[in-house]
Amino acid sequence: MSSFLFLFFYDKSVIIITIMLSIFTYLFGEIILKSKKKEIYHIISISGLLLCLIYFKYAGLFVTTINSMNEFIKLLPKFEIKNFLLPLGISYIVLKHISYLTDIKWGIIMKTNFIDFLSYSSLFTIFTAGPIERYERFEPQIENKEIKFQWVYLNEGFQRIVFGLFKKFALADWIAYFINPIWQNRQDYTIGIQALAILGFSFQIYFDFSGYSDIAIGSSRLFGLKIMENFDYPYLKRNISQFWRGWHISLSDWIRDYIFMPLAKISQNKVWFLFFVPVISMGICGIWHGAKWGFLLWGIWHGIGISIYQVFLYFEKRNDKLKKISGNIFVKPVSVAITFIFITIGWIWFI
Amino acid sequence: MEIKLIEFIINEFLTDNDIEISTDTKLISSGIIDSFSLVSLQLYIEREFDKKIPNPKMTIENCDSVKQIINLINQY
Repeated sequence: MSSFLFLFFYDKSVIIITIMLSIFTYLFGEIILKSKKKEIYHIISISGLLLCLIYFKYAGLFVTTINSMNEFIKLLPKFEIKNFLLPLGISYIVLKHISYLTDIKWGIIMKTNFIDFLSYSSLFTIFTAGPIERYERFEPQIENKEIKFQWVYLNEGFQRIVFGLFKKFALADWIAYFINPIWQNRQDYTIGIQALAILGFSFQIYFDFSGYSDIAIGSSRLFGLKIMENFDYPYLKRNISQFWRGWHISLSDWIRDYIFMPLAKISQNKVWFLFFVPVISMGICGIWHGAKWGFLLWGIWHGIGISIYQVFLYFEKRNDKLKKISGNIFVKPVSVAITFIFITIGWIWFI
Repeated sequence: MEIKLIEFIINEFLTDNDIEISTDTKLISSGIIDSFSLVSLQLYIEREFDKKIPNPKMTIENCDSVKQIINLINQY
């Protein structure tokens, strides 16, 4: 109930969308659970969810792209769509619902309950910015229907919220105060200053997003809920694969389970496995962040990074000299620095 | 099962010949196995032991050592 109260004050239309999507996903979940043709119903339901996401989130981008191409190719039709309003949290709901349906198909979720599922879909503490918690972990926590109040929840929750608020308002916004004017008038600044601003953005986005995650995790804790961690010192990782084990963990886990691994199993071809699978997976991860081609490029940049790292591992395994060098204790900080620089360059497309 | 898994991990994923793998050696948290390796491991388990493990179960909590992987396989 408290989730719907929050949504009511924030954006009333979201309540209708959340309830409708929850009924749609729950009913398909029931069908998948009982049917022998799980695969077909799974594909239909996932397509429905994706169509909903595409309509609300990306239709505007497609229309503006086609219309801008129309200036060069006169044969293309011209579309006009006014006021595309992105419902709050739609990107997160769709990912949660896809994982719910797929986990039923895979036999991870064996029993369902509409009220529990609706609570999962609408949980206001993680509604707008994640973490993308899984139903499998959430459901046992509310199964007994009465999470009793404990003072320790308040203590833990508020500590985490304060930590998050500090990261967001004291650190991220403080950095933003210095670098935002640079983005607004780039032409007035030298390349060196712009490079420093991108470096600053690396920290700004980390404190901003991990701060939000702390607030979400802390707020959930106030109600006795344990939500998964979303960050684990990402900038101290030695390579890009490890970075994604520490950055937006709930999203990278989601991409890994529902996109990367299924794609990887399509073919044993090395080029497919080492290049196309990471690039496609991370490209999808990128464009999920927003309806802007820059996000797609950011994702592809990361995909290429993962691919290059895998090729490096392939050669490292077969070359004793390379093994010795990368095992050297002094190489470790160098690899952390190289990874950080690679990530920082990637933010250019994200801004 | 234990020996087969250790042999597979040594042959497929180990870059450093000096590392010895036991049933308790940390595989993911130590960086021996990553997402790419997990796919190969999952396919190997399916092929060798005829057990289909769902993707979300191939986690650091379930696959960080040979002992944990054996426990996971036994659940399916």
